[in-house]
Amino acid sequence: MSSGGPRLFLLLPLFAVIAAFLLYPLGFLFRQSIGGTSGFDFESYKALFCDSYARAALIHSLLLSSLVAVSSTLVCLPSAWLFAHNLFPAQRVVRAIFTLPMSFSGIIMGFLTVIMLGRIGVVPQLAQKLFGHDYLSGSAYRLHGLVIAYLYFEIPRATLTLESSFRKFDRRLSLAARSLGANGWQRFSYVLLPLIWLPLLSTFAVTFSASLGSFGVALIVARRFSLLPLEIYQQIIGYGNPRLMSAMAITLVTIAFLVNYSVRLAGDRQQRVI
Amino acid sequence: MTKFKPGLVTAHLLTWLLLIVVIAPLLVVILGAFLNVSFLGLASEQWAARKGDGIFNHGWFAYVFHLYGSNILFSLLLAGLSVVIGAAISLPGAYILATCRWRGLRIFEEVVLLPLSIPGIAMSIGLIEAYITFRGQWWLILCGHILYTVPLMTRVLTNSLRSFDIARLELVAQSLGAGWWHRFVFVVVPNLRHSLIVGSLLVFAVSWGEFNVSYLLNTPLHQTYPAALYATFTANSFQVSSAATTIFLALIIPILFALQWLGGDEFTHVEQSA
Repeated sequence: MSSGGPRLFLLLPLFAVIAAFLLYPLGFLFRQSIGGTSGFDFESYKALFCDSYARAALIHSLLLSSLVAVSSTLVCLPSAWLFAHNLFPAQRVVRAIFTLPMSFSGIIMGFLTVIMLGRIGVVPQLAQKLFGHDYLSGSAYRLHGLVIAYLYFEIPRATLTLESSFRKFDRRLSLAARSLGANGWQRFSYVLLPLIWLPLLSTFAVTFSASLGSFGVALIVARRFSLLPLEIYQQIIGYGNPRLMSAMAITLVTIAFLVNYSVRLAGDRQQRVI
Repeated sequence: MTKFKPGLVTAHLLTWLLLIVVIAPLLVVILGAFLNVSFLGLASEQWAARKGDGIFNHGWFAYVFHLYGSNILFSLLLAGLSVVIGAAISLPGAYILATCRWRGLRIFEEVVLLPLSIPGIAMSIGLIEAYITFRGQWWLILCGHILYTVPLMTRVLTNSLRSFDIARLELVAQSLGAGWWHRFVFVVVPNLRHSLIVGSLLVFAVSWGEFNVSYLLNTPLHQTYPAALYATFTANSFQVSSAATTIFLALIIPILFALQWLGGDEFTHVEQSA
């Protein structure tokens, strides 16, 4: 192949965009979080972990994201398996429908949650008609409502991520196990699971970091408790503490990066072993 | 399939359930936008849709266009510009990333793809804080959109470039005396037509639904449609909100179905739109 030297300038626009809109702003935030130009300290990070309000937001965010990530990964396993083996009717249409929520802004998800599970939402009203009691009324504003709202856009994401990894799974392995007399559960736990724990993990990472940064849903729905993205938002519209805000943003970025990167590292290692 | 398989049946049932969960709120919203729901009692802004007295009513749409028409146009403009600029930046960049074997480029590629996996709110905050002097300029919102869409486009294009032996094709062209510019224009770009279409649709959809950057950077003069949607959800009645959401959906649904048919699975990797 010809030497790449003179052609490298084609990379310049891409480099400029990334440097100007990604690296510089993140660097700026980091500098701001450790105290700007005049010396530096980690007071703002200390505040984030010690101040009860900020810490609560951080813990809520982590808790909610892991809850959502675990449940969406588990709930989507069967559907992903069906899709991967082309067992579901009208699969293309169904998959297209599944991709719908991923393109919505979080605020639309929030709106839908309020419509369905709000104080006079569709589900409580139906329950009132059918059972005489408005079950789930107002649950949109509580923790489980928030989890459902997040699940709404994580389920499609998890399904499609899992499906693509199931497709790579060699079915002959399962057939071989079957010919050796393994029953369904044995095939699942001894053949499939060792091979798919990594896709499961990466689905977890994808859904986790997506919910960690999600902001629109919480903006509409969260009333009782705070989340880190909401705290950041409050800081920026309320002219709050820019240092604390930057520290929050950097913390979010770091967590998301670490989760994604460690899963990637695990994946690389497994590939090398195989 | 003669044998009854409880696992398979459960998987099917679960998938149908998920499908219903995904579709039901959308149906409620679309019905809410079209039906004359005055039988539910007096609603605010009832006057806005006085034109139709039947059960079907499209008066809300005129009202929404009247209120938010400029926002719709602004969002369409942003999405269109994101597609054009994104393609112009990503195409040469992806070409270099896929064809040069220099090790430093792998690291750079990781950095380019970072915006897809780190929380959107952190990056919006970074943009706001770093370029605070430009706050209120409409092109700063565009820059935010480009920050998200360029990595997406780059990912689609590099995946595609790596899936066929572009080096061999180029060698053939080179042996026939084509310079690198000719090879780029007449060999590389035509081979990427399909991915360019997929990438453009993705970019358009993401930009159309983007909320984080748009909302935090918006000003009363330059408000994107999702930001206007937030205003609707907080201020307008259910029917007006539904009509506005239906307009949003009317644009995104055809794009998603088109993507499904063209085979663009990249949506699973978009994490910011939440």
